[in-house]
Amino acid sequence: MIAIGPLLILLALLGAPLFAVIAASAMWGFSKEGIDLQAIAIEFYGIAEMPILLAIPLFTFAGYLLSESGAPGRLVRLTQALLGWMPAGLAIVSLAACAFFTAFTGASGVTIIALGALLFPALQQAGYPEKFNLGLITSAGSLGLLFAPSLPLILYGIIAEISVEDLFLAGVLPGFLMLLMLSGYSVWKNRALRVPLSDFSWKEVRAAIREAAWEIPLPIVVLGGIYSGYFAISEAAAVTALYVLIVDVLILREIPLRKLPAVMRESMVLVGGILIILGMSLASTNYMIDAGIPQKLLGYISLFVTSQLTFLLLLLVFLLVLGAILDIFSAIVLVVPLILPVALQFGVNPVHLGIVFLATMQLGYITPPVGLNLFIASYRFERPIVELYLSTLPFFFILLISVAFIAFWPWLSLVLLG
Amino acid sequence: MSQSENIFSRLDKAGRLGEDAVLVIILTALILLAASQIVMRNFFNFGFIWADEMLRMLVLWIAVAGAVAASRTDKHINIAILDRFLPDKIKLLVKITVHIFTAAVCGVVTWYSVQFVQMSHEFGDILMGSVPAWLPQLILPVGFGLICYRYSLFVIQEIFRLSRGGRVQ
Repeated sequence: MIAIGPLLILLALLGAPLFAVIAASAMWGFSKEGIDLQAIAIEFYGIAEMPILLAIPLFTFAGYLLSESGAPGRLVRLTQALLGWMPAGLAIVSLAACAFFTAFTGASGVTIIALGALLFPALQQAGYPEKFNLGLITSAGSLGLLFAPSLPLILYGIIAEISVEDLFLAGVLPGFLMLLMLSGYSVWKNRALRVPLSDFSWKEVRAAIREAAWEIPLPIVVLGGIYSGYFAISEAAAVTALYVLIVDVLILREIPLRKLPAVMRESMVLVGGILIILGMSLASTNYMIDAGIPQKLLGYISLFVTSQLTFLLLLLVFLLVLGAILDIFSAIVLVVPLILPVALQFGVNPVHLGIVFLATMQLGYITPPVGLNLFIASYRFERPIVELYLSTLPFFFILLISVAFIAFWPWLSLVLLG
Repeated sequence: MSQSENIFSRLDKAGRLGEDAVLVIILTALILLAASQIVMRNFFNFGFIWADEMLRMLVLWIAVAGAVAASRTDKHINIAILDRFLPDKIKLLVKITVHIFTAAVCGVVTWYSVQFVQMSHEFGDILMGSVPAWLPQLILPVGFGLICYRYSLFVIQEIFRLSRGGRVQ
């Protein structure tokens, strides 16, 4: 990609599908080295040699199905019953519900569509300023990224060839830090509006639990299964997909059978879009590693950077820019193979690197000009994109501070690993 | 004219239906097979060895089928920072260039996938105990061929629109 020169980069910036750009750069590299171009098909076929990839279509499908069902409404009600008594309760409810939902639906932007439609009007009605609400929903749309079983965590584990279970553990505290800091900001920002949403009521909690009785076992089984080591990731994904399918289509019947093909199609379009990039980048990565690009990169960086601290600082800046132009999935498959060997040389733990990488890329969702959440929110709430740039700005800075904590305090990511 | 348009729209509908059918079948098979593997392993203490291989093959299939479906509406992940600053007419020219590039790349990938499958056929690779490997591998040339076809269609439509002095939708 670096060697092939400006033409491919220009094509990418003009909107050529990323997979085609990567494929072209890989094939160009192969032909330069005199390697038969069949290699592109052979490398792409590598998709069929990674058993854990199975988790990606299954979790994505389950996530799309959940967001089409009544689950978002029940999740909001339950979170309200549990957290609504706090000052600025509804804002905290929104953050917590979004984080939870994003973790389960794979950070593909569905959170804003599924939960934003419920939370935004409720926040407006409760008297929160509109600018705050827009910013809150837009930035909360990618908040659960660090919690299991989010797709970017799984994908990073696959690409970096480290244990996904470790990543699931490592993401817990940094994820909570982000949640806490945004909650703190929300409470402070709305200190004039100290009215709690409602008094805590056991009756309401019981009612909300009863209503969500079908969904509550899901995170318990999935997370419990994964963390206890009873389920492999792909098994947990299979259980989730089958369970959600049975509950929402057959038992609760919130999704009519005739609507199922459309949900399947929509979710698999996303999966196909991610995996075709993965397949092509298997080829381009292989070429780049053969060509010694990571070593060259390391040599180059070592000229300016000598300590781990400055390396991390440089990394943060780089990832912020990267996140502003590249979506998280492409960034993982393209960039992680290059920076991982460099980071290892600077003594960065690969699990910690993953958490830093994803936490920073999460900011990319709300970074102008092309942050995905900004567009989805602009489309969903029918506001001009510039208004969303401005309203997400305070949240962006809060998250930026939390990312700095996560990057320079590895303990936070690594302590749970033991 | 209207009759030929009719044929095209019917072809389009049939193609979409075909894609949906393929996606539904593969995904359903994926879910059921993966779930039954868990049941077998936990309750009967054994799993089908062929099933793991089959699951991996199905993931490849759904990846390619999903990518073909994404091509229908040009929904592939892209960066596209520059094109929103361009005037409409130039935007159309840019789109044509970008789509020609994509079609060409997929054409080349299709060509080499055919060779890959031929090679596998000659070697007589076997999967899942008895299935010749080249059969499931056919998804590569077929899939990339379809994506190439899709983007070629875009190019034709866009040139047609350009010749009418049309604008980007």
